[in-house]
Amino acid sequence: MFARTLLFRLSTALVTLFGVAVVVFVLVRVAPGNPIAMMLPPGATEEDIARLTALYGFDKSLPEQFVIWLGGVLQGDFGTSITLRQPVDQLVLSRLPATLELSVMALFIALALGGAVAVIGARRRGTGTELGLDLGSAAVLSIPDFLWGLLFVLLFGVLWPVLSISGRIDPRIEFEFATRFYVVEGILRGRFDVVGSTLAHMLMPAMALALPLAAMIAQVLKQNLKEVLRLDYTNLSRVHGFSETAVILRDALQNAALPTLTLVGVQFTFLIGGTVIVERLFAYEGLGNMAIDAVINRDLPLIQGIVLVFAVLFIAINLAVDLSYALLNPRLRNG
Amino acid sequence: MTDRPTLDILQLTVTLRGGRKLLRDVSLKVQPGEVRALVGESGAGKSMIGKAVLGILPPNIKPTEGEILLDTHHLNAMTPVTRRRTVSKIASLIPQDPLTALNPVRKIGPQIVDPLIHIHGWSRDKARERARELLDRVQIRNTDRVLQSYPHELSGGMRQRVLIASAFAPSPRLIVADEPTTALDVTVQKQILRLIRELQQETGTAVLFVTHDMGVVAKISQRVSVLFAGRVMEDAATEDVFRNPQHPYTEALIAATPSYSDLNRSFSPVPPALIADLHAKIAAEEAAS
Ligand SMILES: Nc1ncnc2c1ncn2[C@@H]1O[C@H](COP(=O)(O)OP(=O)(O)OP(=O)(O)O)[C@@H](O)[C@H]1O
Ligand SMILES: [Mg+2]
Repeated sequence: MFARTLLFRLSTALVTLFGVAVVVFVLVRVAPGNPIAMMLPPGATEEDIARLTALYGFDKSLPEQFVIWLGGVLQGDFGTSITLRQPVDQLVLSRLPATLELSVMALFIALALGGAVAVIGARRRGTGTELGLDLGSAAVLSIPDFLWGLLFVLLFGVLWPVLSISGRIDPRIEFEFATRFYVVEGILRGRFDVVGSTLAHMLMPAMALALPLAAMIAQVLKQNLKEVLRLDYTNLSRVHGFSETAVILRDALQNAALPTLTLVGVQFTFLIGGTVIVERLFAYEGLGNMAIDAVINRDLPLIQGIVLVFAVLFIAINLAVDLSYALLNPRLRNG
Repeated sequence: MTDRPTLDILQLTVTLRGGRKLLRDVSLKVQPGEVRALVGESGAGKSMIGKAVLGILPPNIKPTEGEILLDTHHLNAMTPVTRRRTVSKIASLIPQDPLTALNPVRKIGPQIVDPLIHIHGWSRDKARERARELLDRVQIRNTDRVLQSYPHELSGGMRQRVLIASAFAPSPRLIVADEPTTALDVTVQKQILRLIRELQQETGTAVLFVTHDMGVVAKISQRVSVLFAGRVMEDAATEDVFRNPQHPYTEALIAATPSYSDLNRSFSPVPPALIADLHAKIAAEEAAS
């Protein structure tokens, strides 16, 4: 039963990926701008351009190009970046960890912040505190992540420069990284100066990404909590002498989290989408930042590689949401 | 043994935010070992009385006047924490709908055992022992399997048995049973009703039994309070109420019951004209006062 579901999910994932690949492949090629012309110096001749165009295969028909590219991808060859002249997979993998660490940190912040506000709001339901939190989260939600980013750059970079708002780590720190997961590796190797510096660099962009999601979690989770808190099993717990806070944490939270989970999954993919601009704002060396350069330079192989990686990420997140849903809900566990 | 009541409600008024009174001057006593039925049409405020006693009124509804004495404790004068602790040691609840009365994501075992530990400070072993004993008593076989189950794995009747076991497990002196059979199949209703009556008699627990079925009233209770629009219309021994109802509303309730022994029928309405009449009278009284 479970194996069949998994098989189904994997095959839909493959179809999705193929679709994404086709769409991106076509889109970047019909968009204006000739990548070869852009990489050559102004004095280049028609012949130079033709030679390079042939080298990258851009002289062939679209379907032909696609088949060649897909054949390469299936063998693990994602092509070579036109501007950076390195294999696309190496470039993408070198940036992916930075974006993953940033997104996960943002997710944790959003869950902690949104969860806390939801619990407090539910605990104080019907009072001015609840109203205040509602208004607050509505206000936070109405400001998108990149505006939060700009605001933080102004506040903490210009007006009151206490936190670093640029880069991923203090360049003065000497450390030979074996991987690109700075936080994880720093923890594993006990270098807490590395961890500290990386987290400090991540804090502002992560906050910018997290705030809208936190506000959304606060609203939806609180609403779900309030509904659960009317049900008889919470009344029974009150009769058993548990405090309202205990009732919320013991009985209501897990039940209210279930319907919130799907939303968090979807919104988390949006959050990852948001890294593209936010990383740029904070000169954070992640995949999103690289994507913007790739688009500006019409670096077609690189754009394709980055988009594919984002697509795989989104699919993986949706799968993880479904799995944790089953884990939290006993009714689905042996289904 | 004195004859102080287990529950003594004195002129209780309960008010919805905005001023609407959901209960007005309600007084009733439940003596030790006694079953008091609380009848009335839907919306009369029956559940509200139980909730006021147990301290589980919704946040927008507050007791505004009167006293609730639970085993001589003045509940309305207590701080929330003391009140909670006191009530948990003395009173239990058998809720109406077994579908929403058990937490769907927790196993049955902890849902019976944890409260016992919390209420009485028992060891986990002792609480588990007591849970098993009660599950046996409510005729649940496979006690171990049931303790390991999630609520959705049990039938409605089984869940209600679990809830009855859980309500009697801490040896309360008062049980509020809020229409404990309404949500069940007809055949299961009879078994559950019998079970509650047997356990009540064995343990001598006082019960405030909410129902809108006069047949159930006749079967289970020694005394009745008839409630209408948040007021007590009549308070008498069950026998007397059936033999000689004092209030036209009570009379109509009884008339609407084909046979006292017939538990199969659901609520069949009192003549609407009478209800409208009573409401008009109450409105007039309120306007006068
Ligand atoms: N949360 C609430 N907010 C506002 N009014 C409420 C709330 N709960 C109940 N009421 C009102 O209080 C009154 C009494 O409700 P209660 O639940 O005690 O009725 P009941 O006699 O138990 O009826 P039923 O047989 O349908 O259970 C009703 O008029 C109802 O509309
Ligand atoms: Mg009710």
